[in-house]
Amino acid sequence: MKSTESPSASTVSAGERLRMALRVFWGAFLFGRKGLIVWDSWEMWVMQIVITPIAQIGFFALLSIYLQYPATVTQYIVIGNAVQSMSFAAVFAVANITSQDKWQGTLPSTMVTPANRLALFIGRAWFQVLLSALIAAAGLFYAATVFGVSFATANYLGIAVTVLLTAFAMTGFGLLISAVGLYLRTAMIVANIFLFVTLLLSGVNFPVSVLPTWLQPVSWAIPLTYGTQAVRMAISGSSFTALLPTLGWEALDAVVVMGAGYALFKGFENLSRKTGRFEEY
Amino acid sequence: MGGLSELTPGKKTEGYMERRGQVLKACIVLTAKLFFADPQWVIPSIIAPFIFTLVAFFLFGGQATSGSFLLYLVLGSGLMGMWGTTIYGSSNSIGFDRWNGTMESTLAAPVPLSWIALGRVLFNTFEGVINALFILIIGLVWFQVGFGIVSPGLFFLASVSTFLSLSAFGLLMCTIILLSRKGGFITNSMEIPVYIATGTMFPVSILPIVALPFAFLLAPTWGIEAIRLSALPGYAGLATNYWEDLAILAVETLAYLGAAFVLFKRVEAYAKRNGTLEEY
Repeated sequence: MKSTESPSASTVSAGERLRMALRVFWGAFLFGRKGLIVWDSWEMWVMQIVITPIAQIGFFALLSIYLQYPATVTQYIVIGNAVQSMSFAAVFAVANITSQDKWQGTLPSTMVTPANRLALFIGRAWFQVLLSALIAAAGLFYAATVFGVSFATANYLGIAVTVLLTAFAMTGFGLLISAVGLYLRTAMIVANIFLFVTLLLSGVNFPVSVLPTWLQPVSWAIPLTYGTQAVRMAISGSSFTALLPTLGWEALDAVVVMGAGYALFKGFENLSRKTGRFEEY
Repeated sequence: MGGLSELTPGKKTEGYMERRGQVLKACIVLTAKLFFADPQWVIPSIIAPFIFTLVAFFLFGGQATSGSFLLYLVLGSGLMGMWGTTIYGSSNSIGFDRWNGTMESTLAAPVPLSWIALGRVLFNTFEGVINALFILIIGLVWFQVGFGIVSPGLFFLASVSTFLSLSAFGLLMCTIILLSRKGGFITNSMEIPVYIATGTMFPVSILPIVALPFAFLLAPTWGIEAIRLSALPGYAGLATNYWEDLAILAVETLAYLGAAFVLFKRVEAYAKRNGTLEEY
């Protein structure tokens, strides 16, 4: 007897499955938006958009001033940290999605739903893409108004595209960690490591070439490395055509990272179902 | 008279200090056990200062190969680590009680909450030392630099004083977090600004003038000055000398402690009266 209860049953057409997947994506997006706007207090927004970016940029800019580096180096550092400040929303918050499910007891309900996993996986984090882009934009605003970075020759369209793409790619990176969090007791530690490790590895404060050679491939695996490079190019006036190779590599990196995250998510989900260890932590 | 009345918080009966000493010791031991059993909540606060220091290593570039600069970084890193673990520890020590459902039991204990929090904060601050040791090992192994401390005795005194001042500040933070739902906001908002204001990686003299009063009100600012004066050869920081730094540190630490204990007493009474401690 054919089942009509499961949306994944063979009776459902491809078009219908796509429609349901989009519906799941939209529902997950709205749910994420509700979580951030309705449940999160306004103070957390202030912390993410105002206090943390300014403090982080200020810390490294002051360090550069103390070391008497030329203004160009300080500006390099300021721009890098302005873009990196999106990591709290894109990496840390997204990475903790599965852990939050565990803490709140909603993981089993999430896992038994017959919803399309990819739509659910990306949809829940989608609002963070917008928030991350907003934080980076705020960081660049502070770079111009507080830290004196010149945007006189900037390619604003290039900056906007790069920031959005970087926000998307870094959210994918957060999802990759979130997938690991499904298996671990919590993704908190891994999320914290990757939240801060980008300061060291992603060309935020100094070029990747300064790092030991063996570490540089790791840097180029992180989408933010391309993002900071492209934003600096766009601020210095590079045309969109000149940005394309860097953005192309970043987009490819984003797809690989998100694909790997989804594969891990499915793998750990199957493993959890087999072993019955969903909520073990 | 024996029995429960002897154990009433605030009653200075015989064995008053002994009981508080026992509570302090028990809380330090319990926090240590929780840390070693499940270090996941504490590691994040070590990671941030650790990576900030590594970034500073690279930014210092060739200068980091000098023993004095390496020591400068290690000392700053140590302070960042202690501050990070203090602020997160202060936030989580009360937050965990809420999440774990142990708030009522903790409050019902026949000892002031301030002494319980003090024990927890003391161990949390101590954890920051681990971060300094990590940086020290990396400096010695990776950068292969050796260094010496100018006055080990004065260095030890300044380090212990700074440790105590951070713990006192952490205790003060606990009172704010105790009544607030905004623990996460306070914790995350204060971490990096305090790195800046206390001059962990650069002297506070390069801060904008408007920021200096805040820097001077933070006891760790004077602590790191005293530590650097005692450790680095030819270090010239603020206009004060070692003993003046230590005196200001002591006064501010006592002020934090006094304010923390008074606030704790009031906040604890307020929270019990209103029964809203678990509301978050």
